[in-house]
Amino acid sequence: MITNKSLGAFVLGFFLAGAALAQSGGEISPERKQAIDSLALEKVRDLSKYISIIGNKKTPFSEANRVMDRAEELFTPESEMGVSSLNRKEVTYYKVRKYFERLMALNYDRVTIQWYNIHYISDLERQPDGRYVGVVTIYQRFEGVSDDGLKYKDTTKKDITIYVERKKTQIQGRTVEFWDVMLGDIRVTETSA
Amino acid sequence: MIYRIVFLVILCSFAYPMRAQLTGDMADESRLYAATKQVNQFFRRFNGEEDEKGNRYYPRDKNYRSVKLRKKYLGILFDESNSGITGDLKVQFAKAVLEKTPPAVLDFHGPNWFAEVQTIFTFNGKDQTVTLFMELEQDHGGSKWVISKVHADMFDPYFQRDTTRVGRFIHPMSHELDFMNLRKAFAATDSISQFTVKRFRPDHLSVFLYEVKKGNLKFKQVDHVKFHFFQIDGWYFELSQFNRAGYNNGWLISSLVKLSAPNDKTLLQKHLYYETK
Repeated sequence: MITNKSLGAFVLGFFLAGAALAQSGGEISPERKQAIDSLALEKVRDLSKYISIIGNKKTPFSEANRVMDRAEELFTPESEMGVSSLNRKEVTYYKVRKYFERLMALNYDRVTIQWYNIHYISDLERQPDGRYVGVVTIYQRFEGVSDDGLKYKDTTKKDITIYVERKKTQIQGRTVEFWDVMLGDIRVTETSA
Repeated sequence: MIYRIVFLVILCSFAYPMRAQLTGDMADESRLYAATKQVNQFFRRFNGEEDEKGNRYYPRDKNYRSVKLRKKYLGILFDESNSGITGDLKVQFAKAVLEKTPPAVLDFHGPNWFAEVQTIFTFNGKDQTVTLFMELEQDHGGSKWVISKVHADMFDPYFQRDTTRVGRFIHPMSHELDFMNLRKAFAATDSISQFTVKRFRPDHLSVFLYEVKKGNLKFKQVDHVKFHFFQIDGWYFELSQFNRAGYNNGWLISSLVKLSAPNDKTLLQKHLYYETK
């Protein structure tokens, strides 16, 4: 059974089935790694887009809730956001849904969320359970303005865990393998940009 | 364009300290490119395994681990604000790394490096700093971080023992009385460490596990993370994260020590692990 969230991975995995080099010793070939990186980035971009919509004050409540559902589907269960700022060293941990809800409820009249055109993708490391794990780093600029002119802005670094898993599905009696990518915990730190 | 600026930054940084500051969004972005954003990127830059955009090089690529590339990257991997890491020391280190045959590389899965994770736990309702020393361990074809040692100041009083004075002891004929005097020995809990063998070394990890399992010690947060490397023969360096303005940012070498004497490494490791005795 292929769900919406794994469709992209499936299509990619299917497309690459004949093209990628064979793997050996559990290592991921450079070609496969590039394909997985693209898929991971696609998911990260989806997340960035959803965060911008949820944070936008013009987004109707019902639409924001629908987008939160979609955003939550990108993550493995129990994923958390660990948030700290330059002034406050204390790390606050939120479940992903809670983080989105707080973003939606921020007390500003206008909110602008922009993403830097920069990302860094780590190597993929094999975990004892056979899944692979990596980290994608992106940067976000946030600006909130209230009607009385008070402005808050920050730039945050988001280190996003990605889990990569090889899965199987049946297509017309044939077993097809594909690589699925899910997002995990995110560490959010304010940068001094 | 940004990549060119960043690579120029990388090229220039070994020759002279960075002074130029760009302004506006462009400056921000080039700063972020220059930063060593992940420990993973530190490994890749140190080893010469990626281009200036962060794209990975593989063994089949011409520039993979090229000495020319590594020289450029090494220059930006030090904390420039630390005057203790002199230019001469950096040059000696660079030579030790690059002029070896084959040149030395850092190995993520190799031994001789570990993480020092400073955490806050609450103990009986009070915040306490607990330092976890962690290393990578192979398991089921993959790897995982495991706790190798723990240090917490709050455990120190448990083990304090004054060896300079005679103090309390269990006399040498106690065995003839079925050690009945243990009753008196254990009556004063403050002095029980006096009855342990001289070679006893306190193990905070065991106490830590016990207190966590008993529910007395509860995790609150991670305060600070740094890494210690002994992977380059004759050298030690510390890797810390810097979050500040300018280009000298991210994961950088914050301490560099040349290990000259044979037991320098052992002494330094003991110091890092708070093993003072």
